[in-house]
Amino acid sequence: MSLSHRDPMNRNGLAVYCRGVTKSYVTGPTRVVALRGVDLEVRMGELLMLVGPSGCGKTTLISVMAGILDHDEGECLVFDQDLRGMGQRRRTRYRGSKIGFVFQAYNLLPTLTATENVSVPLLINGVARSMAQETAGRLLEQVGLKDRAQSLPAQLSGGQQQRVAIARALAHAPQLIVCDEPTSALDADTGRMVMEVLRDKALTADRALIIVTHDNRIFNFADRIARMDDGRITVIEPQVAHE
Amino acid sequence: MYAIALKMLIGDRGKYLGIIMGLSFASLLITQQSSIFTGLMTRTYGAITDLSQPDIWVMDPKVLFIDDVKPLQDTELYRVRGVPGVEWAVPLYKGLLKARLENGNFQICNVLGLDDATLIGGPPTMLEGSLSDLRRQDAIIVNDVGAQTRLARPPKEPAGKPIPLQVGDTLEINDHRAVVVGICRVSRTFQSQPVIYTTYSRATSFAPRERKLLSFVLVKAEEGEDLQTLCDRIQNRTGLAAYTAQQFKDLTYDYFMKNTGIPINFGIAVALGFLIGTAIAGQTFYNFTLENLRYFGTLKAMGATNAVLLRMIILQALVVGAIGYGMGVGGASLFGYLLGGTELSFRLTRELLLVSGGAIAVIIVFSALISIHKVMRLEPAIVFKS
Repeated sequence: MSLSHRDPMNRNGLAVYCRGVTKSYVTGPTRVVALRGVDLEVRMGELLMLVGPSGCGKTTLISVMAGILDHDEGECLVFDQDLRGMGQRRRTRYRGSKIGFVFQAYNLLPTLTATENVSVPLLINGVARSMAQETAGRLLEQVGLKDRAQSLPAQLSGGQQQRVAIARALAHAPQLIVCDEPTSALDADTGRMVMEVLRDKALTADRALIIVTHDNRIFNFADRIARMDDGRITVIEPQVAHE
Repeated sequence: MYAIALKMLIGDRGKYLGIIMGLSFASLLITQQSSIFTGLMTRTYGAITDLSQPDIWVMDPKVLFIDDVKPLQDTELYRVRGVPGVEWAVPLYKGLLKARLENGNFQICNVLGLDDATLIGGPPTMLEGSLSDLRRQDAIIVNDVGAQTRLARPPKEPAGKPIPLQVGDTLEINDHRAVVVGICRVSRTFQSQPVIYTTYSRATSFAPRERKLLSFVLVKAEEGEDLQTLCDRIQNRTGLAAYTAQQFKDLTYDYFMKNTGIPINFGIAVALGFLIGTAIAGQTFYNFTLENLRYFGTLKAMGATNAVLLRMIILQALVVGAIGYGMGVGGASLFGYLLGGTELSFRLTRELLLVSGGAIAVIIVFSALISIHKVMRLEPAIVFKS
């Protein structure tokens, strides 16, 4: 499934559009520049991987694109919306409705069952509990965890927890899913299985996936790979042949 | 989201129980110590409570509390009776006299001498005999606790139990023969001596010879008479102090509050309960929040606004607060119930429940505030830190 043949200049087909994005942090007396003018577009229906050495600014960039951090300069539009211009409350709600997250450490609430964890984004968006749980059950079935729906995270393996996290990221039908090192805590086979679930279940024509990773075992699942170094996109490799 | 908040709270059993235990301990200690304090302070004016018939107590202006008797001349009774608005006025003797027991020991007793004609001021509850039996020769009525404990006769066998004083038994009060004609129940008093009722004339004959022996004049106001106005009138006409029963209770209460270490001692215990409860519950609740910070960050990243997270934390605080308060108050009530028949003074009032509830509310507000502060300032970017 390749969905990478899009016109990069057509902003209507873009999930994310970044031009000259900079971001720096002040830690004590020193100023750390994390992003030094990033230009990047993420198209609808594509799986883009952000790769690069530690500290190159990958996590900062997805935080900016997900509306979690404000950039300093430049332009960053998510579905043609400038998140920096939004108020905190509106931006949080926007994030809740448009963006899904998959984290390296899964971040499943340990006292909730798989079904309850998956239903959290729906509850945040005001969906009734019974309907949210019904949707959660369906999604768990899609990621192959129907029989573990009532299990707590501690009763699940790493791969199962990550699949629950993927189901959670899909629950509210977001248009952009941001994944931070989704396979780095998993063995090769499990990581591969998680990526298959992401490609097959999460990636659709009206949704984009951005995956930050170090894990070169999964590069072949990407439509494009954006390599970062020292706060810049150094190269974008298009049309990686994925399985 | 509220169900999620509760699951987050209850799912972490250790912390949940820790917070509940901290709050329960604080609630228990605050309620129990305050109740003992209130019970003890209530005892200071127990004798006033038991004398429900008179509206006004007349005494020497220098009297500071119920047991601070400064005797009056007998003629003062007639002066009080002459004040307009007084329906009746009767004398009351109140003094500490020595009773000699069968085994030769002496016991200080609180002797109350009632008006010979009317016997006004008698005990609230008679268990054996009747108040009118006081008209018999050398008659006295003894309170049940005194009869069973300090005035009890020595056991017949060395290891046996003391034999309670009974109707028909005799005592020597200040070298005068006294015959027990009744057993009564009175409110526990602060000094906890046995209470003995007799007539005014007999009490004054028991008492050591003094020029003045009249302790108080008990006054009933005429119907429709304003009590404060009558008090003022009695004071103006006789130069004596006149208080309504409630005012006299307040005077006694204030004396013990200002001149004894009781409030400080109990205050320290209550403050300790509050501080320890705050420390345990506050720290555990804060730790609970800290450990869940990643998950609060996750919720924030997923679109939960600060207002939603705020309500979640408030709900968590309210739940632990309500359970901790209930358990503490329940424990204190059980304590009071189980020890109700003993010497322990315990009085749990609605006001104390409110005070205890207020203290627990302060603790949970404090605990919740430091957690809320942390969560409100939380950057959702925390979720990308592994």
